[in-house]
Amino acid sequence: MNSATEVIIVGAGAAGSVYAAILAEAGRSVTVLDGGPPWQLTDLYSSQSWARRLKWAEPHAEEHAGDSLWFNFNAGRGYGGAALHHFGVWPRYHEADFKESTLYGRGLDWPLEYQDLRPYYDRVQADIGIAGDAEAEIWRPDGDPYPLPPVPRFAQGDILQKGFELRDMHTAPVPMAVLTRPYKGRNACLWDGWCEAGCPIGALGNPHVEYIPRALQAGAVLQPYSRVTRVLMDKRGRRATGVEYFDQQGERHTLHAEFVVLAAFGIENCRILFNSASAPHPDGLANSSGLVGAYVMSHTSANLFGMFDADTQNHMGLNGGQIINQDRFGKTRKNGPFGSRQFIAGLAVKPNDLLGIAMTRADLFGSKLDDFMHRAARNLTNMVTISEDQPLRSNRVELSGNKDAHGFSLARIVYQTSPDAKALWRDGVAEGKEILAAAGAKEIWNSPQGAQHIMGGTIMGKRSDESVTNKYSQTHDIDNLFIGGAGVFPTSSAANPTFTLHATSMMSAAYLRDNFDSL
Amino acid sequence: MMTTRRSFISGTGLGLLSFTVAGSTVLMSPRDARAKNADFRILSDREVKLIETFGEALVPGARENGIAHFIDQQLSVDANDALLMIKYFNIRPPYAHFYRTGLTALNDYSRTVHDKPFTALDDEAANALITTISNTMPEGWDGPPAPLFYLAVRSDAVDVVYGTVEGFERLGIPYMPHILPPEA
Repeated sequence: MNSATEVIIVGAGAAGSVYAAILAEAGRSVTVLDGGPPWQLTDLYSSQSWARRLKWAEPHAEEHAGDSLWFNFNAGRGYGGAALHHFGVWPRYHEADFKESTLYGRGLDWPLEYQDLRPYYDRVQADIGIAGDAEAEIWRPDGDPYPLPPVPRFAQGDILQKGFELRDMHTAPVPMAVLTRPYKGRNACLWDGWCEAGCPIGALGNPHVEYIPRALQAGAVLQPYSRVTRVLMDKRGRRATGVEYFDQQGERHTLHAEFVVLAAFGIENCRILFNSASAPHPDGLANSSGLVGAYVMSHTSANLFGMFDADTQNHMGLNGGQIINQDRFGKTRKNGPFGSRQFIAGLAVKPNDLLGIAMTRADLFGSKLDDFMHRAARNLTNMVTISEDQPLRSNRVELSGNKDAHGFSLARIVYQTSPDAKALWRDGVAEGKEILAAAGAKEIWNSPQGAQHIMGGTIMGKRSDESVTNKYSQTHDIDNLFIGGAGVFPTSSAANPTFTLHATSMMSAAYLRDNFDSL
Repeated sequence: MMTTRRSFISGTGLGLLSFTVAGSTVLMSPRDARAKNADFRILSDREVKLIETFGEALVPGARENGIAHFIDQQLSVDANDALLMIKYFNIRPPYAHFYRTGLTALNDYSRTVHDKPFTALDDEAANALITTISNTMPEGWDGPPAPLFYLAVRSDAVDVVYGTVEGFERLGIPYMPHILPPEA
């Protein structure tokens, strides 16, 4: 089947849905192709086991040696993408995150500054509805006050806050894309801690509550089970003409358009670009710099657990947490590693799953596990240290020798946590344990090193020989090919990326909308 | 459509899965499937016995709560729709090979160390063997990485024992669902 539309967006996740809404509302014909199922909010069952349907089984990316990016855990499957299971923690990136090379001679500079993004942060915030206390966030860069009052604290939040206070550390309510009261026709949160399974009542700001409905209302077409394998080019290799995709039955299709936006998750975007190689682009599309796939980053993290005598109500609240501390967000420290780190504390937990209670002590089994489960279900507290990663060219996505069901190469991730991030992780674990001790924990332990969020791989920059896209996520090499998502981030910050992903996507979509006829 | 309030539906957190009993397809929980002696689709009798013994040693109650029926049923569906935690471990489907080779390795290793299958070990020997495979790749283990196999089956056992409404109740915490998994 061959057909046409004005804009093809690959992926109905956070970035793709923003592009779709902005462009469809401008009157453009938009088709969104997603490789997974057409999830609705009513498909989001409150079960950690059923939540796994929101993830891929087939690893489209192989992880090769080094440290794991937990691709299958971080990526998402179907409408909503990874944002469907994300926890809704939405701090802004700080001003220094955008110019680390200029300020510190480390990392990379973005081709834009915080003030360029601020209007888009504010607009997204008003669209989605963020709960927080801007004044209490003493670290927060300029921005409009939050439209919703902060999330409530439950027992474990109170307990852990005391630990921070006794260590002379400041806390604020976590800025959450979760409704603390009804907003724009959506329901307020019930504080049941099922965020990871997806929020069926629309209280958590995923693509289904704002940008997908807006895109559909404006006439965008969303097409599930459509696995895009390549971007198609004109004969000279100058402009994209559409995409090739395969449906659920394995039948090949092409769809043509004036613009293509790849928003299929950072790793998959790289895979599509590589697999789209042709004579004019022998190393893959948009890869004249040789940097497609390079600078892949993650947030190095550890969960820190404390067992208390008190009832911690750890089943209540949000998986994302209750309080945040960014006292260690400054990039430099005397004789210490470079980069930011933050704590988020009071994360709700359920008994099972990768981040569940049982996995906090994976060494236990039998009656000892059962004893532990009964204690931890009532008395465990949960906090996380999140550290900035450094953009290293050696951390990259490349093609594997193995093929997918359609005969296209899988991605292969080559990743090693940067030395600074490892050191920040160690510092975060040590300080987190001191906070738990100050709070009065009877037992204290931590998880192994984890990887939250995946960024980089198609970074933006000013120069075409040092980056893949410009500041509007438009590829340097192909004017009508854009990249959506955190793959364009040149630095990771220590802040959770989803808010910034929305802001950069909105800025880029607005640029495409306003320059549609001249690009 | 948004759900405007909690939907309290009786059932389990694992939902009702499709099983075959006396030639008929029936939706029920893994626990009920075991009680009603539902057919196995993938696992052999030997594998069922082994996985029930191993699962019970990992998480007390796993046998009665239908760990073997849960794994077997999940191995019979499209891997992308599977509820198994192995999805997070970057193992390429189909997953039956992982479980089969893991179970064989478990039994073979038990025979090497104790000269008897895992199902014949007493509690002390079984616990010692599990401790070994939980954190090392023992010499003579011929299967998927032993700690990964331990973690996968332990996770399945945790799912059927603690990840249900009844499991939450046993732990003394409310389940508080927005929407429970589907029923018939």
